[in-house]
Amino acid sequence: MTALHDINPTKGMKMNAMVVEDHQRLKLVDSIAHLETQGLYVWFGNRMILADINLAFPENSVTALIGPSGCGKSTFIRVLNRMHEFIPGAALAGKVFYEGRDIYDKDVDPVDIRTQVGMVFQKPNPFPTMSIKDNVLSGLRLAQIPFTNPDEIVESCLMKASLWNETKDRLNASAQSLSGGQQQRLCIARALAVNPKVLLMDEPCSALDPGSTRHIEETIREISKDMTVVIVTHNMQQALRVSDYTAFFLALDGNPGQIVEAGLTQQVFKNAKDSRTHDYVNGLFG
Amino acid sequence: MTSQVLDTSTMKPQYPWKKSRPTVVIANSLIVVIPMSVYAFFFFFTDLPGALIFIAIFLPIQIAMAVIMTIVALGKRRVGDAVLSVLSVTAFSLVLALLGSVLLSVAARGLPAMRFSFLTQNNIYISPTTELTYGGVGHALLGTLTVVAIGTVIAVPLGIASAIYITDMKGRLAGFVRFIVQAMSGVPSIVAGLFILAAFILTDFVGFSALTGGLAYAILMLPTVARTSEEVLKLVPKELRDAATALGSSRARVIMRIVLPTAKAGIITAVILGVARVVGETAPLLLTTSNTNGTNLNPFKDPVSTIPVYIFQFLGSGYESSIQRAWGAAFVLMLVVGILFGLARVLSPKGKAR
Amino acid sequence: MGCLPIVNQEFLRIKPFSQTKVIRFLNDKNVVETQEITNKSHPEPIRLGREKSRTPSDKAFSGTIVIAALSSLAILVAILIYLASSSWPVLQKEGLDFITGSTWVNSSANPEEQTFQIWPMLYGTFLNSMLALVIAVPVSILLAIFIVFIAPDRLSRTLTVLVDVLAAIPSGIIGLWGFLVFTPVAEGWSKLLNQYFFLIPFFRNDQDQFARSPFIAGWVLAIMITPIITVVAREVLSQTPQELLDAARGLGGSLWGAVKFVALPHARGGIVGGVMLGLGRALGETIAIYFVLNLIFEKVNYFQILNPQGGAIASMIVAKFGEATPDEIRALLGAGLILFLMTLVVNLIANWIVARSVREKIA
Repeated sequence: MTALHDINPTKGMKMNAMVVEDHQRLKLVDSIAHLETQGLYVWFGNRMILADINLAFPENSVTALIGPSGCGKSTFIRVLNRMHEFIPGAALAGKVFYEGRDIYDKDVDPVDIRTQVGMVFQKPNPFPTMSIKDNVLSGLRLAQIPFTNPDEIVESCLMKASLWNETKDRLNASAQSLSGGQQQRLCIARALAVNPKVLLMDEPCSALDPGSTRHIEETIREISKDMTVVIVTHNMQQALRVSDYTAFFLALDGNPGQIVEAGLTQQVFKNAKDSRTHDYVNGLFG
Repeated sequence: MTSQVLDTSTMKPQYPWKKSRPTVVIANSLIVVIPMSVYAFFFFFTDLPGALIFIAIFLPIQIAMAVIMTIVALGKRRVGDAVLSVLSVTAFSLVLALLGSVLLSVAARGLPAMRFSFLTQNNIYISPTTELTYGGVGHALLGTLTVVAIGTVIAVPLGIASAIYITDMKGRLAGFVRFIVQAMSGVPSIVAGLFILAAFILTDFVGFSALTGGLAYAILMLPTVARTSEEVLKLVPKELRDAATALGSSRARVIMRIVLPTAKAGIITAVILGVARVVGETAPLLLTTSNTNGTNLNPFKDPVSTIPVYIFQFLGSGYESSIQRAWGAAFVLMLVVGILFGLARVLSPKGKAR
Repeated sequence: MGCLPIVNQEFLRIKPFSQTKVIRFLNDKNVVETQEITNKSHPEPIRLGREKSRTPSDKAFSGTIVIAALSSLAILVAILIYLASSSWPVLQKEGLDFITGSTWVNSSANPEEQTFQIWPMLYGTFLNSMLALVIAVPVSILLAIFIVFIAPDRLSRTLTVLVDVLAAIPSGIIGLWGFLVFTPVAEGWSKLLNQYFFLIPFFRNDQDQFARSPFIAGWVLAIMITPIITVVAREVLSQTPQELLDAARGLGGSLWGAVKFVALPHARGGIVGGVMLGLGRALGETIAIYFVLNLIFEKVNYFQILNPQGGAIASMIVAKFGEATPDEIRALLGAGLILFLMTLVVNLIANWIVARSVREKIA
């Protein structure tokens, strides 16, 4: 049985929460969400990593992807911005829709996708040879997006990333002079400068101190007013604090990863429909 | 709740990013076809030399085509990629053509001279008019062997010792020794020869001989052996050394009995690479071993012939037959270098055979 | 986890190493006196030094190694000393003119009238090397980029090995090929350059002869040092941190963007080191250009690179060695000394640049 629920109509887009009990393919009733995968299977070489992932991310929402290590969450988000194909031996099947178009269609320019679907990585990776200011602008330069007001852009992005006050006096200092948490916020500012409509975040706070984590969670709340955010996290409390929706990934003993349950965060955490979800969010395994 | 295993065996991995659009395929073909056609046209129907057509017509047109086609098929963003591709493929072709030409010339022109007698005879009775079936590089091979052997005997212990000092003994001067070894690797081969000339030959200590050549070679081999050995010794796991020390070995024993034998293959590689580096050096030999046409079996006295000098001698003489001999010697030299390289790679499949 | 024995709380706190207390007491004279007492709560640590060799055989071993290791230093110093001292009489006589003058006169009959000055050769060495760099550096870097970023895996691995082999081709063979095979081709190029670009002074030729020119020598040197630079550049570029490349790609950068903004800046130090390595090789090269360059010892060819007129210190040494007068040999040793100093400086700069860029990355 598949249960289709109409959730939170005030959000403007209808999200379909699914409980996969016997793994039937989901039929979507409503129109396609801002970012959505249908029947996604992912391989490395001959090993299937993810099976039958059907997940929809409504516009301007925050979705948390949770689940034990190794079940394919990081691989999943790399599929969303077409970075998966860089890995030798990578393969996939299924569709990934962004704004209604399959991003793996042969007419689609992957570089174009990546300017609209941004990514922040687990380990902060600002460009060490550039200054703070140049780092923020580097995304625009790399994507060859012309701009006429560098200072405004730098200020606005650093403000959104909660880094402006700490760096406004030393914009020309090397990015390496920042602490780990500051570097990660710089990476967020850099990703924001390109003005993406979706931001993918792969455990952005896992290596950071609580202060920086707080800043970043504030940032996520702010930016989710204008963009869709997908965040992979191991931190249950973070998922509760920050996300509107949550999807629980699980890969059992050598099987490929699958979605066990997905829906409103409050629902998944407080009132999970699957016992495995319940066990995981209560820390009984993982 | 039941959970069935999903039947995933029907799903096959796909590679959607590898599909090409027709526009892109056409564009790529045009980028190749049009400049080549223009080149062919000019080449066959005008008098202009090939090189000129290449630089002045083919390259500019190809770059222009790449830029235009990329903008049409993929968008302005990818132009940098296209130009980079064209330029780097051009560089690749240039290097391949020129250096390939070196190898091919040596093979093509040197191979005809190869016969057993070439490898064993010397040139003591050879004049420019002698037939090519007589004479050979025998004396030069022997000379090279002797000189390299002397160089190795001196450079290898010193080089390995330096490496040991830097990695295992960690003396206060370790960084300094490393620096000195680095500086030594920059010594031009002719300076090494000059030094031996000044210090030993001009002082009448020794005369032109295989010995002085070996000394000069030792100077050139030492840095290579030391540096490669250092890298190899660093690869020996610390746990091994710790275990031996914990068992009560003295430092000397740890190094001689445990570390060195473990690193044996790598050190042999280091030696081989050191030899490969010097075996073709001409300049120092011109100043130290001088040259001769006969076979000199005494390494301590009297000039000795070596392969690089042999090439030099016959290239300089100008006669057609001499040139052939030079190519033959060059072929032998390349063979030697090739064998050494092959040995080094075989002995260290994982390490750096550089 | 058993029970902790109940202990005096004092024991559980680690006291500071030393506490200075002020105590008051009655001294012998029954007067209240204050005194500072420094109480150490634990004994001074014994600083364990590096284990020194104890047995005679160990000492002998260490000693041998040390002496052997310092042999490099000894050799380096010996080279400097011998070259300097042997050539000193000539250097002293010529003074600075040795490197700035252009006269070379040898005479066994009248030794006092001999003059030895190497400026044409010095400048020629510099000119040849610059030409070689102009050709080799872009080609090497492009080739390295090709191998690391553009070529498919199989081709990349093959090319890596191939370039290693090419770097090992002896210079004598390059010289042989350069003279017999390459010169006719390069002559053709020179004639073309002269024909179409004669307006540029570089490409003028006043002798109507195009063989054995700095242009050709520069090309031969370039061919020799390209593999050397490529090997280093390839190594450094392949070590660009994958995370930075990912970041660049994730931001919407194309391949060229990632190379330009991430890989090349990161590899800058190593590449410069490689270039300097090539430069050092080019400066000291003797045989590769010996037949390919026409050495004119008393006139400098400043910029007419297509003219059959050039200089190279190392080639000069070999050329003049055979029939040199005793003083002339000293002069040649002096030239060798100058060459050695030049390559030493280049080598030191290269090491400094590479070390500095490594430090920057670790910082």
